[in-house]
Amino acid sequence: MIRGFSARSWLLLPSVAVFMLIFAAPLVYFFAVSFWRKKAFSVVPDFIPDNYIRVFDEYSISLVFTFGQATLIAAVTTVIAFAFAYVIRFKAGRFGLPLLFVALVTLFGGYLAKIYVWKTILGQSGLLNTALMSLGLIDEPITALLYSPVAVVITLAHYTLPLAVLPIYGALRTVEDDPLRSARDLGASRFRVFWDIILPQCQIGLIVAFALTFLFAAGDWVTPKLVGGPHTSMIGTFIEYQYGSRVNPAVGSAMAFTVIAICVVIVGCVALIMRGALRPR
Amino acid sequence: MTDAPTLLWRIVAALTVVFMLSPLLLLVLFAFSENSLLTFPITGLTTDWFVKVFENPKFWIAFEKSMIVTGTVGLVSTVVGTMAAAALSRMPPRSATALMSSLTLPVMLPPLVLAIALANYYSMIGLKFGLPTVIAGHLVFTQPFVILIVHARMAAFDHSAVDSARDLGASPLKAFFTVTLPIVRPSVIGAALVAMALSFDDFVLTFFTIGGGSTLPVYMWGLMRKGVNPQINVAAIVLITITIGASLIALRASRYRG
Repeated sequence: MIRGFSARSWLLLPSVAVFMLIFAAPLVYFFAVSFWRKKAFSVVPDFIPDNYIRVFDEYSISLVFTFGQATLIAAVTTVIAFAFAYVIRFKAGRFGLPLLFVALVTLFGGYLAKIYVWKTILGQSGLLNTALMSLGLIDEPITALLYSPVAVVITLAHYTLPLAVLPIYGALRTVEDDPLRSARDLGASRFRVFWDIILPQCQIGLIVAFALTFLFAAGDWVTPKLVGGPHTSMIGTFIEYQYGSRVNPAVGSAMAFTVIAICVVIVGCVALIMRGALRPR
Repeated sequence: MTDAPTLLWRIVAALTVVFMLSPLLLLVLFAFSENSLLTFPITGLTTDWFVKVFENPKFWIAFEKSMIVTGTVGLVSTVVGTMAAAALSRMPPRSATALMSSLTLPVMLPPLVLAIALANYYSMIGLKFGLPTVIAGHLVFTQPFVILIVHARMAAFDHSAVDSARDLGASPLKAFFTVTLPIVRPSVIGAALVAMALSFDDFVLTFFTIGGGSTLPVYMWGLMRKGVNPQINVAAIVLITITIGASLIALRASRYRG
């Protein structure tokens, strides 16, 4: 018998079956389709790189824009999440748990609701504009708020923030107080303690937070569609268009796997950079 | 006395809380606003929008479908995930971690990609779109949460009690229900509720694989396409109340502390 696999291992079967049949198989098939050829109103099996070439030819601007947006969203969210988690762990005292609780209750659920509410807030006659106008702070509504890349950043940062707080807080929670106090007693500055003791220990939390928000932002389709407007050409919109409007599923598939590949590379690079930067000296 | 750094931290915390919560509070406030345009100032309060939504049979049909999907996903995902967690907790930590990371991959994939891949696949094997295809899709991304939550609890407990029960002649099933389950029950309940909250809230996967008909988020999407309207706020409140309610009970049950 293979080491580690006992009679109990059959318990894994249903789970593995779900994974294989409803995740791995569809993904492998979808990957195969990315090499197929369009013929009349459908795609036929083939093995050609044309779809990927088309993705880079026609959608490279959109790809750059998407990953720029995703990097911005992930960076902003990770920084806010870190500040918040830091306050919970070190500064808030007995208010720490209630603050964590706020992040937790907003974590699960309300995906569409959260996007919708930003649409109502940022719109031309939305809550923010009408509030500012009735307070007399502005005369004309600010039209640049909705249907812009900024709206996408705000909306996705809001949606992913609780998701980013938890891994960072989880990492900060394991930082012990005694070494921090000792370092301070031995003359280390606050900044030095922060940079050399606290940050290196929550490296994993930061990387996980960044990766989660980045992946979500890069692949999202509903947010750009609802609040992004015509100048937000995020790649999700095109993937959906290729499939939904039966234009060319093979190109849609090639886009999807291009996005996944670039995501893996970027997240990998960011992880390496963080590892290097956050190493205690 | 508050010094400057302390004040700064308080401002950071306060602003973050406002950023997280105020949109949700506005969502609730404007469900009661008389004006259908969702603008300030609010001229008067009304519950008409709630009445309008709750009188609409389409809302209840969507609600029922949501309940069917969520109930089935919660049950199946919990059973399947708990079984896997039980097996994983007896494996060497290295193999268990590797297996768990693989099973968690569906959560990392953008929902849109998974949704379209699934829709393509269902069409290829000739499966008709409907609630069963939606339920199948939900299993993939809810079971990782069940496995992680239940495994965290099982990895921490003493297996010798289960071994004793087995030595004394209890069948594996009996040992599970009389020894293991009572210990891990809170985590299992918590995991089930998290799975249900995620399933209930899912829009993208459902939208691409349901064919005809709507669950609650798909119904809400239909309303949203026609523009802004307090009835959408009402539907959103129903969705959020149920998902947040489920996750609150889950947090209590599993005594989550970060």
